[in-house]
Amino acid sequence: MDIIILAVIALLGLYMAWNIGANDVANSMADAVGSGALSVKQAVIAAGICEFAGAVLVGSHVTETIRKGIVDPAALTSLPGMLEGEPAALLVIGMSAALLSAAIWLNFATWTGMPVSTTHSIVGAVAGFGIVAAGFGSVHWGKMGQIVASWFISPFAGGLMAFIIFKIISKLILGNAKPVKAAIKITPYIVFFLAMVVTLATIYKGLKHVIKGLDWLTDTHTLLIAVAISIISTIFSRIHVKKKLIGKESLPLHAQLEQVEQVYVPLVIISSCAVAFAHGANDVANSVGPLAAVANILKTGTVEMKVPVPMWILMLGGGGIVLGLATYGYRVMATVGTKITEITPTRGVAADIAATATVLICTRMKLPVSTTHVLVGAIMGIGLARGLSGIDSRIAKKIFKSWIITVPAAAIVCIILFLLGRAFMLDFIRELVLAARAAG
Amino acid sequence: MNIIKELFSKSPFGPLVEHTKKVHECVEMLKPLMEALVNEDYDEIRKIQDKISRLEYEADTIKHSVREHLPRRYFMPVDRVDLEGFISCQDNIADKAEDFAVILTLRKTKLHPEVMDKFFDFLDQIFQVTGTLLGAAVELNNLAEVSFSGAEAKHVLDILHGLNEEEWKADRLARSLSKDVYALEKQLDPITIIFYEKMILTLGSIANEAENAGDKLRTMILK
Repeated sequence: MDIIILAVIALLGLYMAWNIGANDVANSMADAVGSGALSVKQAVIAAGICEFAGAVLVGSHVTETIRKGIVDPAALTSLPGMLEGEPAALLVIGMSAALLSAAIWLNFATWTGMPVSTTHSIVGAVAGFGIVAAGFGSVHWGKMGQIVASWFISPFAGGLMAFIIFKIISKLILGNAKPVKAAIKITPYIVFFLAMVVTLATIYKGLKHVIKGLDWLTDTHTLLIAVAISIISTIFSRIHVKKKLIGKESLPLHAQLEQVEQVYVPLVIISSCAVAFAHGANDVANSVGPLAAVANILKTGTVEMKVPVPMWILMLGGGGIVLGLATYGYRVMATVGTKITEITPTRGVAADIAATATVLICTRMKLPVSTTHVLVGAIMGIGLARGLSGIDSRIAKKIFKSWIITVPAAAIVCIILFLLGRAFMLDFIRELVLAARAAG
Repeated sequence: MNIIKELFSKSPFGPLVEHTKKVHECVEMLKPLMEALVNEDYDEIRKIQDKISRLEYEADTIKHSVREHLPRRYFMPVDRVDLEGFISCQDNIADKAEDFAVILTLRKTKLHPEVMDKFFDFLDQIFQVTGTLLGAAVELNNLAEVSFSGAEAKHVLDILHGLNEEEWKADRLARSLSKDVYALEKQLDPITIIFYEKMILTLGSIANEAENAGDKLRTMILK
């Protein structure tokens, strides 16, 4: 394969990854920065490490040729009057166009400050390609329906979960007449739940993809491992919390509450890192998936349902996310962090646990939810639990609208780019495909 | 830039506590005012009245900045109507304190020695009421931190419970003071009696407004 072609496609993937880093990552660490647990600089470093680790270690090593199976590749090959190699060439153009248009939409969203979903951007773009290339019927509208449903499900589920978790913390610890004593008693249970969610999320999100032949890692075994890790963390936290809080029981009520919040600082750091890790694992595929698909088609000349994602591509995706974070996400992080000081460590932990757990459950149910949507929902949930002094409902509506517009906007950009690409590049790409077939 | 930060509206509770404190500063001026009246130092009364006017103006400025934090689209942990009612009661307290100062500047009145002690008792009781309210209202910021529930909420509700009793005592004192004033009707000219009565009514309304503010605060917590 021509090195220049490869470089161009790699650049597209990098641009997409850069946008993910610039747009999304700040949100995953927002709770840690807002609660003052981490400085902006520390948060950027922690997020960079966690996103990269998530992307490279557990980012999916296998990807569908067409992202999330929104369009059936067979619909393309069965079109009448196709020349040899034309479906493959169309797919190359389509996936490249989808990647670029999702990235452009994300770039626009970042510029205007909208926390949109990277997954939904790419899905919208791919659907746009499918409609133009193979007709309306080639798009799996059932899958699209799920995405529409997720606009409502993910913020609602995240909000409900955060509401419940914060109510529990608020009722049992913050509202207790002896908050320090209550924190010593209750915190280990919260740590247990947190460790459980984080471990399960890490394993389900992709550890299975990384280490091949882990057949014994059945659901029961996974659960056992998670329980074991959680028990160990619980014991650790018990010792830590006791050491920190013992002897503070007789302080005035307000001073006690401050001490309790202090104990939750390490927890909010861990939970925010978990969100960043899961985000990296989940979202890197949006940039590297189409990239891997295109690279595979150009290498083999054939269209497969699933293609492997080589390590270098994952590294590229992870690197791109970190780059986006370092060059632009940094500024976003600074403004978010200084503006949402109302998020105390306990509120941050509640929002993060809710977000991670919701994403975990929805992923298990094969619902394409967005980390960003869930997190926004979680913040609203804490507001409903009277945990925040004020939430601007106009901004909430604005955010919601930006989610809905993401799919059609990315689709329209993709349609334009695909039509341009087909008009000018089709013959050139088809020759590349045929050359690859001859070589293979 | 990122819009998530704008999802969080500015907390009204910090400025609200500021407002409460400023209103209380107005009320605190009543004591030097009465002392100046006893000393028949009418220049001093005018000076203090200026000072209260300025304090009341400052309180109004804070009040406006609190209201700026409360557009309808903000979704808050307390009922907006209660919160606005609370602010307007506090506002009335400052207004009444200013009124009292203005009344004293209207006429060079002497305080009759027979009612002097009871007047000061009554004033002290007013301070009891407003002081209790202050003690509860300054907790608003902390209340927001514990989501208006649990031990902190109970603590504030307990303070507010005391407020009603203090106000009731102030009412009783006002009645008995009024009786004492009318008992002097043979020795005092009617204008002075009317004047005393006006003073008592104004002071009494401060305690009343403080109780109303406390009631609003209670419903805010219990939402």
